[in-house]
Amino acid sequence: MDPSEAEVDSLLRRSMAAPVPRLPPDFNQVLWCQVRRRSERPNRSGQILLAGYGVMSAAASIVVMRGQGLGWGVIAAMTLGPLAMVEGARRFRTR
Amino acid sequence: MDNDSQLVARVQGGDERAFAELFRRHGDPVFRLALSILGQGFAAEAQDVVQEVFLKVHHALASFRGEAEVGSWIYRITFNQAVNLKARARYRRPHLAEAALAHAAAAEPGPHAQLETAQRDHALWECIQTLPEVYQSALRLYYWLGASVADIAALLDVPENTAKSYLHRARQLLGGMLKERGYSYV
Repeated sequence: MDPSEAEVDSLLRRSMAAPVPRLPPDFNQVLWCQVRRRSERPNRSGQILLAGYGVMSAAASIVVMRGQGLGWGVIAAMTLGPLAMVEGARRFRTR
Repeated sequence: MDNDSQLVARVQGGDERAFAELFRRHGDPVFRLALSILGQGFAAEAQDVVQEVFLKVHHALASFRGEAEVGSWIYRITFNQAVNLKARARYRRPHLAEAALAHAAAAEPGPHAQLETAQRDHALWECIQTLPEVYQSALRLYYWLGASVADIAALLDVPENTAKSYLHRARQLLGGMLKERGYSYV
């Protein structure tokens, strides 16, 4: 270490000396509560209701888009595109 | 005692105690890494990072296939999480603990010396903020959190020589910046 670097070293030692925070002792319990809450799966009837709503919405959208004269390719892209984006975002978050 | 990979296998098999053991091993290093990125006065935010990291780890462990070492993987998640939080909170000033302020005030004898020290420390703080994130993290780990070069290398997932060169380069850059600002740091 050259002299000027040693001086910066000494300055850093003086300036950055401060108490080091620690995790609270009950932190693991708080974390465990969060883990349990997040890993609780939505109940079965809620999942069925949500899936039914999704299917009905998609069917209604397809009927309306066909009524507007759009081709099946465009309808498929507009229906499946958002699903692919949601799945992509979910995978990205869990990476 | 199980190694990390064995713990992961146990977590994947539904053993909750194995996840608690993973946290016991890696909780403090993750907190220190988060602190080293966020800086002094951001302990509460660093706790949020720890919580978010372990929630992500718990969720992702089901599909973890062991392509990377468990520790390195957790620390990489931590680094990204803390850097993202820092980018979002860049406008905020750190809320220093009273103990830290008392420590700073007690270090110098007179008001003039205290002012000089405060100005120099502020200039140093500003210079550090302009360094690349890995340099900032290495500096805080070494000078504030008392980590060894080996610890820094493990937390930043780089070879020890690279960790040493981060510290060396950061000191050189800081020296140059402080000289440009007209500070004598002897």
